[in-house]
Amino acid sequence: MHYNGFMSTPILATKLYIPSPRAKVVSRHRLFERLNNSLSSSRKLTIISAPAGFGKTTLVSEWVAALTLAPLPVGEGLGVRVAWLSLDEDDNDPARFLTYLVTALQTISPNIGNGVLGMLQSPQPPPTESILTTLLNEITTILDNFILVLDDYHLIDAKPIDNALTFLLRHLPPQMHLVITTREDPQLPLARLRSRDQLTELRVADLRFTSSEAAEFINQIMGLNLSAEDIAALEARTEGWIAGLQLAAISMQGHHDTTNFIKSFTGTHHFVLDYLVEEVLHQQPENIQKFLLQTSILDRMCGPLCDAVLLNPSSSAQETLEYIGQANLFIVPLDNERQWYRYHHLFADLLRQRLHQSSASTGGAAGGVSELHIRASQWYEDNGLELEAFHHAATGNDIERAERLIEGKGIPLTFRGASVPVMNWLESLPKTVLDAKPPLWVMYASTLLFSGKNTAVEQKLQAAEAALAAALQSTEPDEKSQDLIGRIASMRATLAVIQHDAETIIAQSRRALKYLHPNNLPVRTATTWTLGYAYQLQGDRAAASQAYAEVISIGESFGKSIYTLAATINLGQIQEANNQLNLAAESYRRSLQLAGDPPQRMVCEAYLGLARITYEWNDLEAAAQYGQQSAQLAQQLIVDTFAAYGVFVARMRLAQGDVSGAVAVLSEAEEFVRQHNFAFRMPDVVAAQVLTLLRQGDLPAASHLAQKHKLPISRARVHLAQGDPSAALSVLEPLRQQVDAKGWQDERLKVTILQSIAHHANKEKDKAMQLLGDALELAESGGFIRIFVDEGSLMAQLLSEAATRGIKPGYIGKLLAVFEAGKQKSEDKSSLPSTSSGQPLIEPLSQRELEVLKLIAQGLSNREISKLLFLALNTVKGHNRLIFGKLQVQRRTEAVARARELDLL
Amino acid sequence: MSNEHNQKTNLDEPMVYQIRIEGHLGHQWTDWFEGLTITLEDNGEMLLTGPVVDQAALFGLLKKVRDLGMSLVSVIRIKPDQKVPPEVKE
Repeated sequence: MHYNGFMSTPILATKLYIPSPRAKVVSRHRLFERLNNSLSSSRKLTIISAPAGFGKTTLVSEWVAALTLAPLPVGEGLGVRVAWLSLDEDDNDPARFLTYLVTALQTISPNIGNGVLGMLQSPQPPPTESILTTLLNEITTILDNFILVLDDYHLIDAKPIDNALTFLLRHLPPQMHLVITTREDPQLPLARLRSRDQLTELRVADLRFTSSEAAEFINQIMGLNLSAEDIAALEARTEGWIAGLQLAAISMQGHHDTTNFIKSFTGTHHFVLDYLVEEVLHQQPENIQKFLLQTSILDRMCGPLCDAVLLNPSSSAQETLEYIGQANLFIVPLDNERQWYRYHHLFADLLRQRLHQSSASTGGAAGGVSELHIRASQWYEDNGLELEAFHHAATGNDIERAERLIEGKGIPLTFRGASVPVMNWLESLPKTVLDAKPPLWVMYASTLLFSGKNTAVEQKLQAAEAALAAALQSTEPDEKSQDLIGRIASMRATLAVIQHDAETIIAQSRRALKYLHPNNLPVRTATTWTLGYAYQLQGDRAAASQAYAEVISIGESFGKSIYTLAATINLGQIQEANNQLNLAAESYRRSLQLAGDPPQRMVCEAYLGLARITYEWNDLEAAAQYGQQSAQLAQQLIVDTFAAYGVFVARMRLAQGDVSGAVAVLSEAEEFVRQHNFAFRMPDVVAAQVLTLLRQGDLPAASHLAQKHKLPISRARVHLAQGDPSAALSVLEPLRQQVDAKGWQDERLKVTILQSIAHHANKEKDKAMQLLGDALELAESGGFIRIFVDEGSLMAQLLSEAATRGIKPGYIGKLLAVFEAGKQKSEDKSSLPSTSSGQPLIEPLSQRELEVLKLIAQGLSNREISKLLFLALNTVKGHNRLIFGKLQVQRRTEAVARARELDLL
Repeated sequence: MSNEHNQKTNLDEPMVYQIRIEGHLGHQWTDWFEGLTITLEDNGEMLLTGPVVDQAALFGLLKKVRDLGMSLVSVIRIKPDQKVPPEVKE
């Protein structure tokens, strides 16, 4: 399942590389001082906001080099450490941005955020805030102060990323400082940061070369010998714009009469840069001019790539790159080995404009430039850098090549962190192009579906169908078109899964399986799973398990996928529903192994299944633990699991005699179900609510709820509580027939137990005993305990009686022992009301306080604890105060230490 | 003023914009600015004039100006030329 598509190493390294300062630079102490001051006054953010060509990146790279002095071995860095991330347009994908952010942080703390990277690669990453919270917690463990530089932030044009940074800044740990360079002010709360003195800004007025800096640059760095007057004229003309001054200086290195040059240049209205680039280019030999123009299409360059683009065997691009570097022609090395370079962005833009110009004037139109892009694309493809290859294919307008590169050799680019560029490209294509190529429409739809833009999918699917129909007017669909028809249906099935619409899932899945190519295993597997899911929704358990078994077996022969994991969990659920608790537990455990570390969040269902099973086996401690593991994963995303978790917790609370706790949990769960429209979870929640109402003796409310939601088992329970067993039996009988017809074993067990109780109450002893025997028969192999114990003392009586009749004496013996132990425990409690479980405290901790304390010891925040225990945040804080008071401590850490001393944990 | 209002109601028509910039560029830059007409003024400023499909396209153009490091003087929307006669004349 792990794919690292866009983390191709050479490119990654260039994005994280801290530009090394040039040997000779203008010293900018006045700016360094302000930057240092930003650090020493513990401000959160420094932004360097100015147009292109004002030396933003150079300034920051020189400053951080001065801060860190010489490169020290990892771990020995004194003072401040630096992580660097050069952004590009592809980083507008939030998952990709965060991935790079973490990898940048890993350059200073190698293991930081490994879990976060795992989350980001999962098919449904958790909300950005919870990813960032995890990351922030880990950042607080970094010992050194450090700076994170985000270079070229103006390339980010995505609200989610601005929001992520805003969140990061709001919770920024004290050891971290953020530096942003940008051509436009970022969409961050700058005014607020400013007013709280948490922001340092360097703007164009600060960055301009002063007269003395300009003089130092022209005469000392560039080695010209200009008069003060000439320098003043240049400075006035360029307005301290560094790129302009640099170009002017390079131009003058070839001029004999510099004064005249300055005169002619200052006398025009020409845009400084345009004029100077012309000058600079004309001074270069033709082969260098050609090199500069043709390689300007590349965002990053290395020798072999340039060779491939130029197709000029007579010269080595590596040598040319080095020459350009020495000639100061706006080239920036991107690594220490001098393998990768890029042009200064501004210079590259000017070169590109000239390239288009010259190719247009030589009559080659854009064809010449496209050809260069296609060569670059080929080189990137040959070197396994598919995203870059795709970019050049798209810019070179080679649609077939771009399409092929997106499809990739295994997993399409879309699923490897490149959904944004792929989407942008598809959006940019004219409708006629898409109509001529139905696979592009299908790709469009699947990219949207993958990006969670579900509502936009159907429209593209219809466009795909229309385009297919037009293409197939008179001919029979070939294999490829058939496969497309299958993929369209499969996407519709997936959309229907989100709606829990079983009928549509089944119809579309069947259609998909009919048309999909036999070799298209990834989509076939996904579709087989959606089919299984629909059967499960409908309660057709046999058909569902057959589908899941097929998914699992495909995974075994052809490689496991996310669907292998999903199907394993679902199979566990069906085994659980069939009362095969041992098999189910085995499936759940297998899914945990498949889920990897950190686990895929869907295994929250597996943990919850294990919680229910261990509860049923009366291992309440294990049940509580599995339950917490489930909730921790489930709360990272909005899934219906959270409602099922609430029902589980309520059962636990009832078992512990905590009725009001159960009520609280269930009202939270009910609210959650309503809020997120998980209507299909409502019956379970209501059934549990009826149980709590009966426990509280509120028969009218219980009766009303059971009637309203048409829950036969709940209604039967209410009738029993009302002392009307024949009414209960008349509700149970038709249910019994229905359950038998469907073969629902779990329901059959529940009904049989209730029937037995009802017959007993109706004074039909033999009938009651016979049914209890049936129930025991159904339950024994699964090792059920709580389903009997939770019925209370009446059930103990029934079981004893059955034992005297020789029914399942071994099993009944076990069950009665549990009843006995439970009675013992409650007697212990009532005889020693002041000390619970022998705590050596004057005022012992309550059950709930112990629960909270355990979670504190696991390092959970108050907020997390409140979510996990379904308590209000203030209630948790209240518990904390009581715990601290009873333990006579001030802090969480002390509380945990004290609790360990006292053996409370 | 009333012309302004009439234009606003016609949302699907491309708007004509005039972007004023400091410094002169050659006419070869016309393509770079997506076909806008380049007019050089005597005071050293330059006008980019032409239809702009929508706001997104306008901001794209402004980004191009930004990325060249040129100084923006003004951006105004102007009456579409004579081809579309104004409905209300005052």
